[in-house]
Amino acid sequence: MALSPSSNLLILLILSSLDWLPSPGSTFLTDWDHTTSSALIEPHFTECISRDQETFHCWWSPGSFQNLSSPGALRVFYLKKEPPTSQWKECPEYIHSNRECFFDEAHTSIWITYCMQLRTQNNITYFNEDDCFTVENIVRPDPPVNLNWTLLNTSPSGLNYDVMINWEPPPTADVRLGWMRVEYELQYRERNTTNWEALDIQRQSHQTIYGLRLGKEYEVHIRCRMQAFIKFGEFSESIFIQVTEIPSTESTVHLTLVLVFGTVGILILIMLIVISQQNRLMIFLLPPVPAPKIKGIDSELLKKGKLDELNFMLSGRGMDGLPIYAPDFYQDEPWVELMEVDETEDVDNGEKKDNRGSDTQKLLGQSQPVSQHININCSNSVSGPDAESSQATCYNTDLPEEETQMLMATLLPGQPDEEETSLDTGERSSASEKGERQLIQTQTRGPQTWVNTDFYAQVSNVMPTGGVVLSPGQQLRIQESISAAEKETKKKRKESEDSEESEERKQKEPQFQLLVVDPEGSAYSTESSIQQISTPPPSSPMPGEGYHIIHPQPVEPRPAAITELNQSPYIIPDSPQFFAPVADYTVVQELDSHHSLLLNPPCHQTPPPCLPQHPLKAPMPVGYITPDLLGNLSQ
Amino acid sequence: MQLETILPVCSPAHKQSFVLCVVAMCRAVPINDLIYRASQQSDKLHALSTMLTQELGSEAFPIDRVLACHTSSLQTPTDKEQALQVSESDLLSLARSLLQAWSDPLEVLSSSTNVLPYSAQSTLSKTIQKMQEHSKDLKDGLDILSSKMGPAAQTITSLPFIQTNEIGQDKITKLLSCFRRDSHKIDSFLKVLRCRAANMQPQVC
Repeated sequence: MALSPSSNLLILLILSSLDWLPSPGSTFLTDWDHTTSSALIEPHFTECISRDQETFHCWWSPGSFQNLSSPGALRVFYLKKEPPTSQWKECPEYIHSNRECFFDEAHTSIWITYCMQLRTQNNITYFNEDDCFTVENIVRPDPPVNLNWTLLNTSPSGLNYDVMINWEPPPTADVRLGWMRVEYELQYRERNTTNWEALDIQRQSHQTIYGLRLGKEYEVHIRCRMQAFIKFGEFSESIFIQVTEIPSTESTVHLTLVLVFGTVGILILIMLIVISQQNRLMIFLLPPVPAPKIKGIDSELLKKGKLDELNFMLSGRGMDGLPIYAPDFYQDEPWVELMEVDETEDVDNGEKKDNRGSDTQKLLGQSQPVSQHININCSNSVSGPDAESSQATCYNTDLPEEETQMLMATLLPGQPDEEETSLDTGERSSASEKGERQLIQTQTRGPQTWVNTDFYAQVSNVMPTGGVVLSPGQQLRIQESISAAEKETKKKRKESEDSEESEERKQKEPQFQLLVVDPEGSAYSTESSIQQISTPPPSSPMPGEGYHIIHPQPVEPRPAAITELNQSPYIIPDSPQFFAPVADYTVVQELDSHHSLLLNPPCHQTPPPCLPQHPLKAPMPVGYITPDLLGNLSQ
Repeated sequence: MQLETILPVCSPAHKQSFVLCVVAMCRAVPINDLIYRASQQSDKLHALSTMLTQELGSEAFPIDRVLACHTSSLQTPTDKEQALQVSESDLLSLARSLLQAWSDPLEVLSSSTNVLPYSAQSTLSKTIQKMQEHSKDLKDGLDILSSKMGPAAQTITSLPFIQTNEIGQDKITKLLSCFRRDSHKIDSFLKVLRCRAANMQPQVC
């Protein structure tokens, strides 16, 4: 047996010093073949074993003495070293077939030393001190019984598994009364291998084997020994463990199916909810953007296409709550808009320029460069009833004749829908084309600077019906610039083309289309309501007269120059007098009791002295009627 | 057996009061638990002695020579039938007597390890020290247990140990083998006692 070096040394020392013999209990089974020569072997005891710590057996061998092998040739004597007596006794029970001596419970004592002896018939004694023992030291329990195994679990990878081994203590060992306490050792190995795996010795009657490989067959057996003792009993019968497949796939498949169907069902449910509550969900997720709210303005007007009405509203005409424009019409407010004055054209049209310049100078009382932008405050004068059309009334004196026509056309108040929009487009288009001179708004230079004689028609008569007759004095120049303006105002003239042509045919007849302000409403009357007015003979408009009455009578036909003016109800008849000096126009200041327009004496002199007699009532383009007058007219 | 483990309330600062406290509190501890813990302690003691014999080599333990242990005069049951016939109190008394008989020899052993070869000294001294501790704990526990089991359990047979100043190496091995036998006796008696007290709980036994 293996001994540590220290123990070997100790043994040597002990033996050498004390000449001791080794313990018989442990060396009882020493192989006699090693110690003695092969020639002579004395009869000896081979083994003494106790299984239950209550009885024990001893087996002997005759050795080389074959003549002693016959039963009864050798006798067994034992010595029980009890305190009172100590004498050799013969074996209580022989089993000669096995050469065995059996000691039953009556003859077995624990914690008492037994010595065994062999004697021949001749009293030859073969005795060895090594054959002395105590019973508890020779106990080798029987192997456990009822060995079985159960599958515990499987690894997630499905390659390994654990088993639980169960057994029962040997029935011969009285464990129940506590007389024997045993501990177990489990061993296993793969089938057809040589090395056994030994698990830890433990006292429970069950143990787990971990990490067995799937598909392999394992062999398991077990043995036991007395607690705190050395000698093990025999191994039990082997059992075989083999697991070929894991019965857990079904559950995983079922689980997967359940999860899949559950998810699909939930998704369908969510879809149904979303579809049924779509509107509410949309409102919840994407709340509607509130429409712009301007106090006093209906949001309908802010929609596309209704800009005219909106402008009307904003101008303060319709609603009381709009404080945008003060009711003071006569304040000087600069207007800034798109138009510029082109210098080149002014240079080209020298004649017109001279006239304009003269007119301007007369009007404004100042010598100004031709290319200057003259901002006329015209909004205030006519801002009351018509803010948009007042734009048209602002003219630049430096504008050439081409522009004059445009401006005159734009000046004249027309239908709100057509003309205003057309005005805007005309303004822009002309500006884009010529860069130019359609000056819709001009800044005020003074109360007198509003007017360009080219763009005003002199009211020569007022009809009892309320119509105003314009003098034909300023239409000559319009004639000349028909083509230029035609392009720009093509759009606007669509409606009035027929009337234009008719007017061209009626060239001989001056045609005045007079816009009659509808006293009832804020809109101007359409072209249909335009009345043909006739202008008095060119000589009629006399600057010196107090006022002129425009008769709505057909006058001398004018050429196609009128075409440009068709867009506006006011058509200035083509007469050279259109660009006549200031004297051709007057300002309608008031109405008398007979609904006659009272006009100021025209200022044909230099502009400076030509101040309007009524500063408050700033000069306004011909044809416009202040709300006061409007009210008077309607009465 | 550590009394602190049994009765953590009592502090072992003053021995007398501690004993009284233990005795007073022990009434609350069931006997079965005490026996169970005692048997565990004896189990450890016997395991230590077995380990000692294995380490030092079985050749160093002449069993036949231990015929004359100082505790041999004590009459103890020698087989199962006798053990089952002995009362619990007697069993406990025997265990306590044996245990008491070995307190002095263990002291001698612990101080005599220098006789042995150097390589064996450390192992022997450590193991003997542990054995002393366990023996002491077991003794205390059995004292408490015996107080609950009647006057018969209180009897302790005196087994004097003749002490010499120096003991030879043979004495040491003899003592060790004697101690192993007696520790097995104590363990067996207490196991029998435990199983007998368990009655309907075989798993405890």
